[in-house]
Amino acid sequence: MNKVVDVVIIGAGVIGCSIAYNLAKKGVKVAVVEKKIGLSFGASGTNHGGCPLQLFEPPVLELARESIKLYKDLSDQIGYDVEYENVGSLVCSVNEKQYPDIEKHFRKKKEEGINVHLIEGKKLREMEPTLGKDVVVGVEEWESCTVNPFKVNYGFAYAAKKLGTEFFFSTEVKKMEIKKGEIVSIVTESEKIKPRFVVNAAGAWSCKVGEMAGITVPIIPRKGQIIVTESVPLNKRWRQISDADYLTTAFNLEAVKKSKDPRIKLGVAGVFVQENTGNWTIGSSREFAGYDNKVTITTVRHIAKRAIKFIPKLKEINCIRIFAGLRPFCYIDGLPIISKVENPGNFILATGHAGEGITLAPITGKLVSELITEGKTSLPIEPFSFSRFKNIKNINKTPV
Amino acid sequence: MERKVIICRCEEVTEEEIREAIRKFNLKTVDEVKRVTRAGMGLCQGRTCGPLIERIIAEENKKISKVQPFSKRPPVRPVKIGLLAGKEGEIN
Repeated sequence: MNKVVDVVIIGAGVIGCSIAYNLAKKGVKVAVVEKKIGLSFGASGTNHGGCPLQLFEPPVLELARESIKLYKDLSDQIGYDVEYENVGSLVCSVNEKQYPDIEKHFRKKKEEGINVHLIEGKKLREMEPTLGKDVVVGVEEWESCTVNPFKVNYGFAYAAKKLGTEFFFSTEVKKMEIKKGEIVSIVTESEKIKPRFVVNAAGAWSCKVGEMAGITVPIIPRKGQIIVTESVPLNKRWRQISDADYLTTAFNLEAVKKSKDPRIKLGVAGVFVQENTGNWTIGSSREFAGYDNKVTITTVRHIAKRAIKFIPKLKEINCIRIFAGLRPFCYIDGLPIISKVENPGNFILATGHAGEGITLAPITGKLVSELITEGKTSLPIEPFSFSRFKNIKNINKTPV
Repeated sequence: MERKVIICRCEEVTEEEIREAIRKFNLKTVDEVKRVTRAGMGLCQGRTCGPLIERIIAEENKKISKVQPFSKRPPVRPVKIGLLAGKEGEIN
């Protein structure tokens, strides 16, 4: 069947669906193509739903700040409750030696305009009795939120569909037909769609979609494993708690490479989010294992050990489920890619969000829709441009 | 089946809620029903409600010849985080 639309989006994760919604709102005719049978079978369905502002570094910080603002009224806008909760966030350390790093983090965040507070271990435990005796110092702020990632994915899709967006599930893109530097059609097993623009929002698979358009998108899947516990009473003050090591494992690839600690090698740093239902989701890890998304006991053991150090009472709580997800990681600089491509000229990339896809979904949808309909964006996206790879030699060379 | 019947006992999700979700989002798999309604997210991880939800999906969507069951994830039974962590210093 031949179909003509304004925009084809490849990938129906939170990023693809947010883009679809933002475009549909402007009256753009959109088709979303998804190879899985339904929503949230990839990274959008395998995360905590945490949006901890203080863990973002510039230039992504500005996107995160705006995105978290957009989450505030998203439920009203799309007519579906995404379970936004202004829970704030706490970054803390169980290592005396990290004290100067935490102080540095605190000063930096303050300079960046986040209303952070530095709190000593003893005081932290008074405020939050679940924190363990090893916790020496922490930084809190109250701009951050959590959302239900499934609801974000379904909500964006639902709202986009109501505005006329068509979804094609169990539909894998097989080929792109390119003529005179433009993608003229997207070919799947059952459809042939002729778009004016094509958006690659295929997450960990966006490199493969890039290949079809004849370009190298420097993305590899990075695996993250998460433990889910049974429901227990809600924490008194903080339900989004991160280990200061996160600042290393998530952003400092060099330090991870150099480290001799097997935990750091697996990218394990504690991230503890208690959902509104009382269940804890406990992460986090970062591994390059291709497209294998199996749970592995060694990594889980490191995560569980780390969790008990921060929140000792977790020891006695049941784990009911463990899962792993594959996030799109840009192996050149770890930054997202939100950009037009020179050739093909009607190809747009929205990928590389790594572990920050949930936080960045609302703003990414907004920016990409602006890029397509107006040719310019309300926030600068140069740091996320595809042209930043222009002078990179051996762009095909992945770190593993 | 009575509409107010509870299908997922762990998370207290009713048949009516499940049917509504299936219709609203055109859900085709048990995993999706779980994501939208929380059915199967509790202590037993869908051991009781899984087959029931499969049947409801089949009833609601006659086009589906075989409903995909819940994706299987460890652990098989709930296990204490302390046990997962193992002893001090022990990893493998």
